[in-house]
Amino acid sequence: MATVDEDLLDLIAAEALIDRGKLAREATLADLGLDSVDVISIVFAVEEKYGVEIPQDAFSDTVDLGGFIDTLKDLVGKSGG
Amino acid sequence: MGVGASGRRIVVTGLGAVCALGHTAKDVWAAARDGAGAIAPHTFDPGPHGPPAHTTPAALVDGEVTGPLEAALGRRVGNSLDPFTVFALTAAHEALAQAGLIGEPVLERRAAVVLGHGFAGIHTMEHAYERFYGQRIARMHPLSVPKVMVSAPVSAVAMEFGVRGPVFAVSSACSSSGHAIAQGAAFIASGAADVALVGGSEAIATPGCLRGWEGLQAMSPTTCRPFSAGRDGMVIGEGGAALVLEGLEHAEKRGAPILGELAGVGLSSDAFHWTQPSLEGAVSAMTAACEQAGTLEGSPLLISTHGTGTPLNDKNEAAAIHAVFGARAKDHPVIATKSAHGHLIGAATAVQGIIGLMALAERLAPPILNWLGPDPDCDLDLVVGEARPIEAGALLLNAFAFGGLNTSLVFKRWGA
Repeated sequence: MATVDEDLLDLIAAEALIDRGKLAREATLADLGLDSVDVISIVFAVEEKYGVEIPQDAFSDTVDLGGFIDTLKDLVGKSGG
Repeated sequence: MGVGASGRRIVVTGLGAVCALGHTAKDVWAAARDGAGAIAPHTFDPGPHGPPAHTTPAALVDGEVTGPLEAALGRRVGNSLDPFTVFALTAAHEALAQAGLIGEPVLERRAAVVLGHGFAGIHTMEHAYERFYGQRIARMHPLSVPKVMVSAPVSAVAMEFGVRGPVFAVSSACSSSGHAIAQGAAFIASGAADVALVGGSEAIATPGCLRGWEGLQAMSPTTCRPFSAGRDGMVIGEGGAALVLEGLEHAEKRGAPILGELAGVGLSSDAFHWTQPSLEGAVSAMTAACEQAGTLEGSPLLISTHGTGTPLNDKNEAAAIHAVFGARAKDHPVIATKSAHGHLIGAATAVQGIIGLMALAERLAPPILNWLGPDPDCDLDLVVGEARPIEAGALLLNAFAFGGLNTSLVFKRWGA
């Protein structure tokens, strides 16, 4: 669903205060300057928007933004939210 | 004459401000001077777990603040700071840059940072509790505590600019930045520091906190009309303001811009009531500041009042001005810029000090806005309508906080 991708990108841009145009799927989280606190802030915002609770270790293997978004989408989808 | 027993003279060498009137001290002054008030109705929505949204007047910072701050600092800030810290850091950077102090060794060795806040990281706290109580998620954000704590802004300033001397926050509700200025001046007067970054910040325009203020029965449902007939309360503003205070000799030696002199400090407590002001407390603070500055007699002062627009404050403050100055009470032009930028609570005195210093320098008193007509209880020389040319060489700046905590400061124009 393209709209969930778009919503998540909007939310990442807003939460990490990053220009939406820089959010390419192949960019690594490090390239984007996203540290662990940014990731937690984004996860919290996703939890609040979709009414889900996301496990703390869900992103331990995540490297790039595409993987991050896919994992988020998976967790949001599983909840039925 | 200096503000302390040491006689060390204290001058202002940098100003920084961000509030609803603008994002720099210069823009804030220009809007105040031009009568471009920023109070407007805003809708505050408590979200799915709260009561319905409601609309009330406020003076909110417009536009992006974090992006320009990141550009100024040359590093990413992201969402790691509560807005009250972003405002403080923005104002501090502007003030230190104007003073020519960024990267200077004096900041590390001989500087203090004292900022005042009536509250703390209310945006962060309210959001965290919405999640905790509303959504019933137990896990809190790892930065919740550092973002909320009242000393976050001073720590952020110290870390950003490498200040290793006395650094702490002070709190006295609506007088907080007045006390911060007094404390910073005391460090310079005592010889403990050569430079003090002082001021305050506040960001409390959240759905829950505003309802708290409405519970006080002191908020206007319309707008802020200081000293006016028909005034019906205060309006919340937000922002940050910072001044660089410096020993005169230190400032002159390094050729710093001198923007004014802090010549008098008067502090008092009413020891009386949570929300009702006392005449004695206000008179005591104003008299002490004017005696120290030598401005009790003589030429007219520009008086930047606490002027909240509540029926009680303005009546009491007008009576206090009459009690302090007697037959000469109406010689002094009176301004009340909360009618333009709202009540910044902990940052109010600092932002009004900046506007007042620029008013002295440009010899123009900014107008009181939203004034409907005279109130016999507020018989003062009110500057209403538009900016008025003034001859005053000194500013008397008042803050009378809920809980009865008062500060009056006297600043003098530098040079003739």
